[in-house]
Amino acid sequence: MSVLSLKGVTYQYEGTKKNVLKNINAEFEAGKVYTIIGKSGSGKSTMLSLIAGLDKCKDGTILYNDADLKTIDRDVYRAKNIGVIFQAYNLITNATAVENIVLSMEISNSSVKNKTDFAYELLEKVGINRETANRRVLKLSGGEQQRVGIARALSHHPDIIIADEPTGNLDRDTEAEILKIFTSLAHDEGKCVIIVTHSKKVTLIADTIIGISNGKITVFKENTKN
Amino acid sequence: MYILKNAFRNVLRNGGRNLLIGAIILAVIVTSVIALMISNTASGIIDDYKSRFGSQVQLKPNMDKVRKEAQEKSTNGLMRIATPTIPSDQYIAFGESDYLQKSEYTASTGVNNDKITAIAADKGGGSGMMMAGNIGGSSGNKPTQFMMSLRGNQFTDFTEGTRKLAQGKMPSKKNEAIVSTDLAEANKIRIGDKLSLQGEVKNSEKGTTAATSYEVTVVGTYYDATEEYAEGAMENAYTNRRNEILTTYETVIQQLKPNMDGGIRINATYYLKEPGMLDAFAKELYAKGLDEKFDVATDEESYNKIVGPVEGLKGISVTFMIVVLIFGGIIIVLLSSMAIRERKYEIGVLRAMGMKKWKVALGLWSEMLIITSLCLVFGLGIGSAAAQPITDTLLAQQIESAELEAEEQAQQNSGGMMMGPISMSNSASSAEPLRNLDISLGSDTALQIIGIALLLASIAGLISISRITKYEPIKILMERN
Repeated sequence: MSVLSLKGVTYQYEGTKKNVLKNINAEFEAGKVYTIIGKSGSGKSTMLSLIAGLDKCKDGTILYNDADLKTIDRDVYRAKNIGVIFQAYNLITNATAVENIVLSMEISNSSVKNKTDFAYELLEKVGINRETANRRVLKLSGGEQQRVGIARALSHHPDIIIADEPTGNLDRDTEAEILKIFTSLAHDEGKCVIIVTHSKKVTLIADTIIGISNGKITVFKENTKN
Repeated sequence: MYILKNAFRNVLRNGGRNLLIGAIILAVIVTSVIALMISNTASGIIDDYKSRFGSQVQLKPNMDKVRKEAQEKSTNGLMRIATPTIPSDQYIAFGESDYLQKSEYTASTGVNNDKITAIAADKGGGSGMMMAGNIGGSSGNKPTQFMMSLRGNQFTDFTEGTRKLAQGKMPSKKNEAIVSTDLAEANKIRIGDKLSLQGEVKNSEKGTTAATSYEVTVVGTYYDATEEYAEGAMENAYTNRRNEILTTYETVIQQLKPNMDGGIRINATYYLKEPGMLDAFAKELYAKGLDEKFDVATDEESYNKIVGPVEGLKGISVTFMIVVLIFGGIIIVLLSSMAIRERKYEIGVLRAMGMKKWKVALGLWSEMLIITSLCLVFGLGIGSAAAQPITDTLLAQQIESAELEAEEQAQQNSGGMMMGPISMSNSASSAEPLRNLDISLGSDTALQIIGIALLLASIAGLISISRITKYEPIKILMERN
C-alpha cells in the first residue's frame, strides 16, 4: 500500500510560467528505497520539497496515507511523519550535534524519555562519537555534518525519509555505511526512503529508480522483491 | 519548556549580538528607572502640596482695591488706608459651608494694662491703622493707642520653631495665656498671675467704641526668636512681637459685641473638601456678604515657589524618558530586524523541522525577555543608586534658575512707590522651595519599569513575529543553498 501518492502534481516557480513538474503521478510504498535521478534543474529537489511539505504544488494532490497534504497540518507532518536530509545539511550551526538531535525530538514531541542519551545513541549509529557530538556543528567537517543531518532525520521515527544527495560529501566507507542504514531502515524497519542522487552507487540500493526529465518522470527500475 | 531552554541556550550562544541589544535595553531601563523614580516622587509631592495649598483658602484684602478706594476718598492730600475687616459673625457664617471640610480661626485685639510696661514702650503705642500721604494734614479722631496685643490661636511660630515654651504650658482653656520671657522678666510676671487687660471694640461705620476687658491667667512663658518687628511695619510697642500675649481663640472673641465690627480682628483659614471647589466657595462667600475688597484665594505664589522647581524637575525627567524611550525603541527595532535577518537561516531550519511559526516567535520573544529581565535586574540596581545624586543635581539647577528668574522679575517690578507696610502689599512669598527630594523605588515605579521592559521586549518580539510570518522555510533554505 502506498504511504505517499503524487496525483497529477504540477509545479511552477513564482513569477514564471514554465512548469518545472508536469502532471506527475507516482506511488511510494513503505519498506522500499526509491532513488530519483535526473540532470541539474530537472525538478528533483523541487519534487522532494513538495513531498517534504516545504512547498505546495500548483495543481494535483500529494497524499500521505490518503490524506491530502493541503488539508493536514504540514508543520506536524514535517515534525512527525517525514525526516528530511538536506544536501546543505541545514543544521542549527551554533548548537552542538547532540543539541540538534534533541531539538528535533522536542519539536516532534517525541515520547523518548531520555532524549539526550537517545541522541548520543543515534549519532553513534551514524558514526559520530560522543566527543564530536558535543561540538558545535560549525566545527564539524562536511561529512560529519551530513551524518548529524541523517541522525536528525531519524530521530523522530518518521514513516518517510527523504534525502537530497545524502552521500555527496562522504568518503566511500562512510557512504557505504550510510547506504546500509538507509537499506536497513526500508527493508528492516519498513520505512519509505526516497533519495535524490547523482551517485550510481546509491541507485544500486534502490528498489525503484525514478528519472525526471523535462518535468516528467520515468520509472527505470521496479524491484518487486520486497 | 524546550522553547525556553533553547532560548536560554541561544542567549549564551549569540553572546556578542545579545550584549549589544542588552546594552541598549539596559541604557533605556536605567534612564527610565531614574526618570520614573524622580517623576513619581515629584508627583507625590506635587499632589500633596496641590491638595494642601489648593484646599487651604484665605480671605485676603486686595490691596490694589483698598488703595484705589483710599485714593478716591482722600481729602487734603491725606490718604487714610484702613485695612478692610470682616465682621466676626461673617467669618463664622462663612465657615458654615458644604464646600468645607474644616475651618481654623485666629483672633487678635489691642490691649493695655497700666501695671505692665510693654517692651519698647518708649516708642509709643499703635492702633493697627495705617497712615500714608501728608502726615501734617487733618486726621480726624485719633484712635486708641495700645501697647500690647492679645492673640488667640496664633501658635504657628511654635510649630515653625521660632518660638518655644520656656515655662509652664500652652494655653488650652478659655482665659489662659502665655507671655514672652522678655515681657515676663521686665514686669516680674509669674505663672499663675492674673492679668487684667483693657481693649475696645468699635463700630467702624458710626465711629463709636465700647471698652472691653479680659482677665487672663498666665499659664506659661515663651522664648521668642522672631524678628521684633515685621519687615516694613511701623515700630512701636503694639507692633513689637515681644508684647504679644498668646491665648485661645475663644478668649479673644468672648468680648465681641453686637454691631461692633472693629477692634477684634478675626482671621479664618478654610479648608475645602476639594481644591476644585474654590470658585463655588468664593461665589457663596460674596453672596453671603463678603466685601468685594477681599479676595478668596489659595496661596498660589507659595505653592509655585515651593513646588515650582520640583515640577520643573518632573518635566525634565518625563521629557528625557520619552526621548530615550522613542530613540531606544527605534534602536531596538533596528537591532531586532538585523538580528532576525541574521537568524533567517536558523528560522528556516526550525520551520523545516516542523516547528510552528508561533513557537519560533515565542522562542525569539523568550530570548528578548531573558535579556530584558537581566537588564531589568541590573537596571533597577544602577538606576536606584544613580537616581538620588542625579535628582540633587537637577533640583539644585532648577532652584537656581527659578531664583534667577524671580530676581529678574523683581528687578523688572522695582521702581514703583510702595504704599503701606510691606506685609500688606502683594509682596513675594516668603516660602522656601523644596531643596531636598528623597527618591526611593516604590512598588508602583517598579511595576511601571517592568511594564516598560515588557514593552521593549514586546516591540522586539513583534518585529520577530512580523518577519517570521513572512518567511517560508523553503525560500530561506533555497536562498542559503
